[in-house]
Amino acid sequence: MEYLIHIAILISIYAILGLSLNLVVGFTGLLSVTQAAFYGIGAYATAILLVSTGMNFFLAMFIGMIITGIIALVMGFVLSKFKDDYYALGSFGFNVIIYSIFLNWQSLTNGPLGIPGIPRPTLFGFTFSENAWFLVLSAGCAVAIYFICQFITKSSFGRVLKAIREDDKAIAVFGYRTLWYKLAIFVISAVMAAVAGSLFASYITFIDPSSFTLTESIFILAIVILGGLASNKGAIWGAVFLILLPEILRFVGFPDEIAAQMRQVVYGLILILLMLYRPQGLVGEYRL
Amino acid sequence: MSIIPQLIVNSIIAGAIYSMVALGFNLIYGTAKFFDLGYGALAAVGGYTVFYFYDGLGINLYASIILGVFVSGAIGVLIYRLVYAPLRKRKSSSMVLLVASLGVMTALQSIVAIIFTSQFQTLSRDAGAERIYTIFGGVITQTQLVTLILGVLIMISIGLTFRYTLFGKAIKAVGDDEEVSKIVGINTTKIIGWVFFIGSAIAGLAGILVGFDTGIEPTMGLDLLLKGVIASIIGGIGNVYGGVLGAFLLGFIENFGIWKISGEWKDAIAFAVLIIFLLFRPQGILKK
Repeated sequence: MEYLIHIAILISIYAILGLSLNLVVGFTGLLSVTQAAFYGIGAYATAILLVSTGMNFFLAMFIGMIITGIIALVMGFVLSKFKDDYYALGSFGFNVIIYSIFLNWQSLTNGPLGIPGIPRPTLFGFTFSENAWFLVLSAGCAVAIYFICQFITKSSFGRVLKAIREDDKAIAVFGYRTLWYKLAIFVISAVMAAVAGSLFASYITFIDPSSFTLTESIFILAIVILGGLASNKGAIWGAVFLILLPEILRFVGFPDEIAAQMRQVVYGLILILLMLYRPQGLVGEYRL
Repeated sequence: MSIIPQLIVNSIIAGAIYSMVALGFNLIYGTAKFFDLGYGALAAVGGYTVFYFYDGLGINLYASIILGVFVSGAIGVLIYRLVYAPLRKRKSSSMVLLVASLGVMTALQSIVAIIFTSQFQTLSRDAGAERIYTIFGGVITQTQLVTLILGVLIMISIGLTFRYTLFGKAIKAVGDDEEVSKIVGINTTKIIGWVFFIGSAIAGLAGILVGFDTGIEPTMGLDLLLKGVIASIIGGIGNVYGGVLGAFLLGFIENFGIWKISGEWKDAIAFAVLIIFLLFRPQGILKK
C-alpha cells in the first residue's frame, strides 16, 4: 500500500510537470527543454527557505514560485529571440547553466551533497507526515493545476497561443503582441513547475542537483509528447504511463540497475516511434 | 612557474577534441539540415567498441581502433536508414527530427550502459606511463598530440574532398538543394547515407581518443556533442573551417574562463557563450 501511494505521489508530481510543459510545447509550439531547471529552482528555493528559516511550507512554496517566475521571465525573454530548433538548443543551454549553479554555488545549495532534512508541510498545526496525507496534498495540487490549464487553454488567451503556434506572423498582423503572450505562458508554465519542485523537495525530504539535469527535462518532454501535444488529459496519461513503466520492468524481474537503464531505452524508443508513426502522441491534437 | 603556457596548451587540447566532434556534426548538419543529437551517443559507441576489443578481447590496438571507428559509422548509417531517412522522406519538420534524435541518444547510451554497466572505464592499459611532451612550458600527452594531429588531418581532408572530388561536390550540392540534386541525377539517399557514415565514424574516433585521454562512460556523448554543437554554431554552422575555428575559440574561452574560478563552471561558460552568440551573431563567425 505504501508503495502504491509512493507511485501515486510521483505520478501527481510528474503530471504537474507534464501539464505545465504542455502549455509551452503543445499549445504554443515552442520546443522548450528546460522544465527541470524551473522544477529545480522551485525545489531549491523551498528547501533552502524551510531548512534555514523554518517558515511555513506554503509560504516557502509561494516565494519559490515568485523567484522561479522572475528567472523564467528573463530566460523567456532571451529565448523569444530564437525559433524552432535554435529555441530548443537555447533552452538546453539554460538547463545546463541552472544545473551548474545548483552544483557549484556551494554556500547556497550545498553543492553535490544536496540539502537533507527538509520538513514535510504543515497547515494549521497539521503535518502531512503520513504519505497518504501527502498524496491528498499533491493530488490536490495536480487537480487544481489541471483545471487552471483547462481554463487557460479554453480561454481567448489560449486561442491566441494556438494561433501563435500555427502562424505567429499572421496573428501579429491582427494586432496581437506575440512576445507578451509567449512570455506570459512561459512564466505561467515555469511557476507551475516550481509547485511540482516544492512538493518533490518536501516529499523526498532531500534534494541534490542530480534530479534536475537536462536528462530530466528530456524525460518531461517525453511525457508531454507521449501523452499528446496540446491535450491536458494527454499530459496526465503520459505521466501515468512513464512513471508506471519502470515499475513494471522491475516487477518483470530486471535488476534495479538494468531496470533504470531499460526505462531510458524504452522512453528513447517511444520518442523515436512516436515521431515516426504518431507525432501527435496518444491523444494529442497537434503535431510538431 | 607561470600557469599561462599550460592554459594555452589545455585550450588547444580541448579545441582539438571539440573540433573533431564539430567536424562530423557540421558535415551532417550541412547536408541533412537538422540537429542530430543521436550523434553524441556514437562517440560512446566508438569508445566502448575499442574497450571491448582492446581491453576485453586483447586485440591489437590499431585493429581495435579501426573496428571502433567502423562500428560507429555503421551504426550511424543504420540509424539514418531506420529513423531519419523515413522522417525526411515525409518532409517532417526539423523539430520532429530533433526529438527523434533525442530519442536515439537516450536509447543508444542506455543500451551501452546495459551492456557495459555505467561505470567509468579507462581505455589505456598502461595508464600513467604515457609519453609526455613539453611545449613552451606546457605539458601535453601523446594521446592529446595524436588528437590534435588527427583533427587537423580530418579537417584538411574534408576540405580537399569538398573542393576537388566529385563526391565532395555531390555532398555540397545535396546540402544546397536536395530536390535539384535529385533532378540532375545525384542519388541523394546514398550520398546522405555516406555523410552519416563519415560523420558518425568521426564521432566514434573522437570518443576513442577521449577514452584514451581521460576515460569512457555511457553518458560521455552528450557532453561532447553539446560542445561540438556550440563550436559549430559559434564558428558558423555548416561551414567546415568555421566549426574548427569555433572549437578552438571555445577551448580557449573555457580554459581561460576557469582561470580564476572553479573548473566546475566550464559547461555553464560554454552555454553562456552559445546564448550570447545566438543573440548577437546567430550566423557564427564564418558565414556559410
